[in-house]
Amino acid sequence: MLNARDTIVDALDIESFLLCESEKEAKELIAKLMQSMGFARHVIVSLDFNGPGAHFRARAYMNKPGDNYTWLKK
Amino acid sequence: MKILLAPLDPVHDAGLKLIKRKLEVLGYQCVLLPPDITVEEIGEAAIAEKVDMIFVGRTVGYGVEQLFQRVKEVLTRQGVFSKVRVAIGGMAVNDELAKALGFEGGYGPHTSIEEIHALIERDPELARHITHPVKNKPEFPFPHDYEVKIPETKKYLDEIVDGILDWVADKTSPGVRRAQITESQLQDVHGSVAGYTALPFTKDYLAQCDPSVADFFQKNICPPSVRQITRQEVDAYHRRIDIAKKKFHPRVLQHGRKNPLVFIQYGTGCPMMDGMHIKVAESWGADGVLHFDPAWGARTEGLLDGFLTNAEDGTPVTYANLSLIKRSLDKATLWSVRAHRGLNTPEIAVLAGFLGAGLTKINIVYGSICGGTDPARLTVDGVEAVRIAARYKMPFDIPTNEELAGVPPHKAFAGMLIMAQLGRRLGAKPILKPLLCHGPYIMVAGLMEQNYVDYNYAKIRALQTIADFPIWPGEPIGFMTHDEEKVKSAATTALHAALCASLGVDAVTTASTDEAFSRGPITSAGRAAALHGIEETFRFFGETDIAPGAHVKDWTDQLILQINQTLKAVAEAPSFVDALYAGMLGNKEDGVYPGRAGKNSIITSAPPKKVGRWDLPSVPAPKKPVVTGKASRPIAVVTRRGR
Repeated sequence: MLNARDTIVDALDIESFLLCESEKEAKELIAKLMQSMGFARHVIVSLDFNGPGAHFRARAYMNKPGDNYTWLKK
Repeated sequence: MKILLAPLDPVHDAGLKLIKRKLEVLGYQCVLLPPDITVEEIGEAAIAEKVDMIFVGRTVGYGVEQLFQRVKEVLTRQGVFSKVRVAIGGMAVNDELAKALGFEGGYGPHTSIEEIHALIERDPELARHITHPVKNKPEFPFPHDYEVKIPETKKYLDEIVDGILDWVADKTSPGVRRAQITESQLQDVHGSVAGYTALPFTKDYLAQCDPSVADFFQKNICPPSVRQITRQEVDAYHRRIDIAKKKFHPRVLQHGRKNPLVFIQYGTGCPMMDGMHIKVAESWGADGVLHFDPAWGARTEGLLDGFLTNAEDGTPVTYANLSLIKRSLDKATLWSVRAHRGLNTPEIAVLAGFLGAGLTKINIVYGSICGGTDPARLTVDGVEAVRIAARYKMPFDIPTNEELAGVPPHKAFAGMLIMAQLGRRLGAKPILKPLLCHGPYIMVAGLMEQNYVDYNYAKIRALQTIADFPIWPGEPIGFMTHDEEKVKSAATTALHAALCASLGVDAVTTASTDEAFSRGPITSAGRAAALHGIEETFRFFGETDIAPGAHVKDWTDQLILQINQTLKAVAEAPSFVDALYAGMLGNKEDGVYPGRAGKNSIITSAPPKKVGRWDLPSVPAPKKPVVTGKASRPIAVVTRRGR
């Protein structure tokens, strides 16, 4: 039986708005957030800081092209 | 049949009013209760009106489950629920929830009247065309007369094309020879394509290849970013695709219009990941897909073979990879394999044609001043590729992405029109592919400071004024207007698509919402998101067109003038190839320069001979190659030519 993560074709995006005082702080918080969720390898796809904080989309790749894809496991 | 429509909202009953109107058209007798009623009043009305069925609607989603449980309890207590069929609906309701609560069925915001009709009649066939739509492959491109309408333009184009055909008449190349060898081998296996995943090795073939390609076949050495896909992976992939095909219900993006058809580009590096992205794109409404190969493939003499995955952008073109992708496609999906820019242009055209790709991509100008291939070499190979496209009845598109390097649109369009006229002369169907972009030339000239509409409008109108060729803007539309933010990216793609719909073009190539994101591979979710945006924008505009702004006419006229000036200069050059080297269709000041791959590789076979426009040499039949290795059929998954 596949676990849920194994069924993701390529990547899991997390989008939200976090309260912070700078873009630098936003990046640090996003890194902590992703690591706390078990996504050691992640990238920030978009980040827009203004006013109360940052609108962001972070991405954790589950399967990159050329990998041995989890969704091909039995 | 008499139906009671009961809104369980204080004020909202628009949904049930809509249903009432449509059900009455279908011949049902309907009774609509006013809003702000109690559940008990619904039961009382059902008894008084002697209805056969009740539709209870609740717009507000909060607490619907508890509310409808109470509806069932009250109607049961009143003796209605056992005698009258009851369906429920609203923003938070679907058929699954309704049935779980014990109702006849449910309807939500996206439920069609056909589905409600099917629910009433208990006949799923009444809504089958909605719930299980069938998409047929369109005849593409749509009909055009392919006539150049401006006499001056036609004169220049014909002179240039005459010159190109004269120039190539006594020349060949390693790329042309490999295409002939490959085509001969493919003819040999015709009829057994299904089980055939690789081509037989020949000494003749390797004699025309780079050493790295020979190393691949003879020493099993892959290029650095490439690995072989195992049979287990291929088998598992086929199982996945078969499951996806069983659940596939295609969507139609165009809302009332026939065109533009919507294409996406794939080329993640891996044919299996490509296949999965294709299934996502097809499911969310894409009409066609385009295969993109790696950049190094264009600079290498010879193609690899077998199931291969590349860790970087671009999926290697091999017989096996293309076969794998073809097996992934829905029957209605149009498929293009690009051939246009590198040293394997004719051979890729052969593979594309033989494997049934309906379309290919060839542009000598772009490939030689922006794609890195020597102009002389690509002229020889490009003409051969156009002949192959004609032979396999593959329309070919002519991309003009040299605009991204800074070439002004009029020069890119002049090159595109030369290719189009060449294509017609050789019996092929060319498709113009203007780039709708915020490119460097446009930025510097400030042509899109006010909006993205007017200059793009002028570009398409100029082409439509010059000739009646199919037009398929790409590649992708909105290039350099995308943003890493997903909604902005989807919006710019969708709005460019809407502009293209207004302009009546045949098709568009669209980006995923990851178009501007460069720190990792694009995702399948990004493809679905962009297609959602297009669907909604097509719905928004319907058949209403976007009106041109004040500058459009002047810009259109100016483009036509500049295109003709460019064509005149090319026609007066010693040859088309000389014009390419001299930068008449794009030069270093513009940001492009003649490519070097394949330089001095042209083989002159006989003294030059003049060939008239209507007296073309027949294409020699491919010769049988000398097979020095064992042609293994059926072929193993990781087969080499002759290994």
